Amino acid sequence: MEPIISFKNFGFKYKTQSSPTLFDINLDIYPGQKVLILGASGSGKSTLCNCINGLIPFSFEGEITGSLTVAGKETKKSSIFELSKDVGTVLQDSDAQFVGLSVGEDIAFAMENICMPRSEMAPLVMKNASLVGMQDFIDHVPFELSGGQKQKVAIAGVFANDVRVLIFDEPLAALDPQMGMTAVSLIDDLAKDDERTILIIEHRLEDVLYRPVDRIILMGGGRIVADMTPDDLLKSTLLKEHGIREPLYITAMKYAGCSLEGNRNLCSLEDLEFSPENENKLKTFFTSDYKPLPENQNEPIIEFDHVSFSYDGKQKVLSDIDFTIRKGERIAIIGKNGAGKSTAAKLLCGLIRPSEGEIRLGGKDIHPLTVKEIGERVSYVMQNPNQMLVKDIIKDEVGLALQIRGRSAEEIKNTTEKVLKACNLFKMRNWPVDAISYGQKKRVTVASMMALEPEILVLDEPTAGQDFRSYTDIMNFVNALNQEYGITILFITHDMHLAIENTERAIVFADGQLIAADRVCSVLANEQVIARASLKQTSLYRLALKLQLDPESTIERFISYEAELKGGEIDE
Amino acid sequence: MNNRFVINYTPGPTFLHQLSGFTKVFLFIVVTVAIIATYDVRILWPLCIISIAEIVSMKPNWKPIIFMFLFTFFTVTIIGNIMLFVVSPDAGLNNVGTETILWTSASGRFYISKEWLWYIYVVWVKRTASFASVMAFALMTTPSEFASGLNKCGLPYKVCTIISLAYRTIPDIANDFVDIRNSMMMRGVELGKKAPLGKRLKNHVTLLVPLIMSSFGKVGNIANAMDLRGYGKNKKRTWYAEHEPTKYDRIVRGITIALGIATIVYILWARIIDPWPAKIWAPFVDKSAIQQISLEESFFLFRWLKGLFNK
Repeated sequence: MEPIISFKNFGFKYKTQSSPTLFDINLDIYPGQKVLILGASGSGKSTLCNCINGLIPFSFEGEITGSLTVAGKETKKSSIFELSKDVGTVLQDSDAQFVGLSVGEDIAFAMENICMPRSEMAPLVMKNASLVGMQDFIDHVPFELSGGQKQKVAIAGVFANDVRVLIFDEPLAALDPQMGMTAVSLIDDLAKDDERTILIIEHRLEDVLYRPVDRIILMGGGRIVADMTPDDLLKSTLLKEHGIREPLYITAMKYAGCSLEGNRNLCSLEDLEFSPENENKLKTFFTSDYKPLPENQNEPIIEFDHVSFSYDGKQKVLSDIDFTIRKGERIAIIGKNGAGKSTAAKLLCGLIRPSEGEIRLGGKDIHPLTVKEIGERVSYVMQNPNQMLVKDIIKDEVGLALQIRGRSAEEIKNTTEKVLKACNLFKMRNWPVDAISYGQKKRVTVASMMALEPEILVLDEPTAGQDFRSYTDIMNFVNALNQEYGITILFITHDMHLAIENTERAIVFADGQLIAADRVCSVLANEQVIARASLKQTSLYRLALKLQLDPESTIERFISYEAELKGGEIDE
Repeated sequence: MNNRFVINYTPGPTFLHQLSGFTKVFLFIVVTVAIIATYDVRILWPLCIISIAEIVSMKPNWKPIIFMFLFTFFTVTIIGNIMLFVVSPDAGLNNVGTETILWTSASGRFYISKEWLWYIYVVWVKRTASFASVMAFALMTTPSEFASGLNKCGLPYKVCTIISLAYRTIPDIANDFVDIRNSMMMRGVELGKKAPLGKRLKNHVTLLVPLIMSSFGKVGNIANAMDLRGYGKNKKRTWYAEHEPTKYDRIVRGITIALGIATIVYILWARIIDPWPAKIWAPFVDKSAIQQISLEESFFLFRWLKGLFNK
């Protein structure tokens, strides 16, 4: 069979960069395959896909060496329009690629551009919308849609041409866990067509493996590091070496001392057949005694006392929220978009005030305090660092809050230096803010909040847009702030890995109500809570069921073992 | 989200809403031209009443409309007329052509004439008609219909896309702005009502940096998304938002054409064939009484100052 995509000794260098981003790519992808292109940020995986859809070299200029043919056409001699007839691309930012003012219009966008008459367009739009299950939303405007729905529209939008190759650029980046699963299933359904080739670019391996893929191409440093089946890749040590998080159940198997050889269907927990030896090892590991997780007995720092909130005095956005957070705790605030978690965070910061009930900080009602005064004790770090950075130089950004408060130059200098050192940014203090990476920007925003020496740090989706390596960096840094300075940390997040690894308790919102405030292991083992909050059962939970163990103690055992490992690292 | 800026993103259910984008844009252009071209209440009143009837037929949310109407009434009409009274009490003479003085101040500096009152009345009708026609158009048209209708009227499609993209991003930018503002307030930047006005304005300017930075990131993504779906390949494009003309579209287009012809005929008749000697027609003025005034004489302040000087 002829490959539909064929790279031969292919290389690419961006015009603005001094060294190439891709080297020696030799790769054949055949029609009907479903391929995962895996790699950390900067591994070249997005560049590779932009070469296929023609954004390279037609929108991003640069130098191509070697050859790349897509559906028999040499890309550099083709054009982005020519290629778009064969290749459909669903971009990462589902909001930005929504260019129409209604669902129907966005799906029709490509048809409009090829001057299709409206009489042909309308039925085709309907057909493509039903392909992704959006037929009942044709007239909806983008502002009413969730991230997952926008993504479905984007998928329907690339079907205007009968594309043979579909590229998904980080399809899971902006979705909550349950929508992520829906997206993975939808992609899998599209892959059922034998003629259609699917490429998924992701670094969230476990989430993509929710449905099988044929091949995984692992990228690292602009080269193809591995091209193998998922099972073989999981058995290898390549994932760790290239900054990819392995599935949790694989980690658990490793902790239990299992050998990864000799298990069939390793890449899918449901179909996995453990060797009898491994099954015993896992059962012994999860039922052995462990050090129970310590409980925080400090004095309360945040108290929500039967708090309700409504914007218009009629419909309650939050009703009767009641919880306590103790000093030095790390808390995960969980719930799908619109469940009330950001409203709760806004209440805590004083941006909006409760319609009923009382919020106490360190035992005192915050009602009489101004936003500025609360801001000295509670720091809120937004999801997108670009929305927070206002100064040109890192040092000035970090000193801004102090400067506003009219502190002396001496004090600003000292505090800024201290914070920059704590945040590992001291060497970069004179760098322009534009020159640093997204992850570093995130760190600068945290540093600029730390300058006020807050008691509480609220981080909104700290891991969004980050790969595993930069995720680990940020989490180590935040955990160090927690341990060394006793700062209470609240993570607003969808990421269950984050909750398991970095928090003690989870507060879960659904439909404006608090549905759970409990230890992370109990929350994750509670099926009802998981379903109501649109979370996803972690693979640990499913592993426990498979082994007929109690999920709660299984998860707790896992967390406690990780804590021991980490403790060990610190002692070293 | 609908009606937040009196923008409709989805077409409503009423007769006018269901017309095609081109019909709406065409009607709007003809009505606007007619209003701009005439100072004759015999034309302005019907146009104004048609526009108001259009608004009523769409059963809109009246609150923002009345608010905007009262706002323009107080700022433009009332303040404007007080200024006019001070600066040019002779606007009646200049525009209507005669002067019947009803009241004069002791010094003779200020006076009110019947023609002056007629003049401000005509201007008010003209302004109300414009307001009603713009409002009717805004209420009946979605941004996409606006873009596709303009394209059909001959505007290049890239310009039309810019218009629809602007509407697409206004709410996003507004949300971004609120987020950025909140984050800055928490850092202690004074943006609230307590801060002095000058400081508040200055601090709001600092918000522009992150607002522009985060918008720039989106621009690149939007451009890529459009390229990947073949935007700009052809000289023309079709529009999903522009549906095929229905029977009602043809009727409304017919009426619009008739209206356009009527306007042209009126202008020919009133300005060229049988010209009225003053700018504004008034029922109580006899054609032969209209004075032709020299430019120098046509400024009341000038005449008044000259009078003072001569004394």
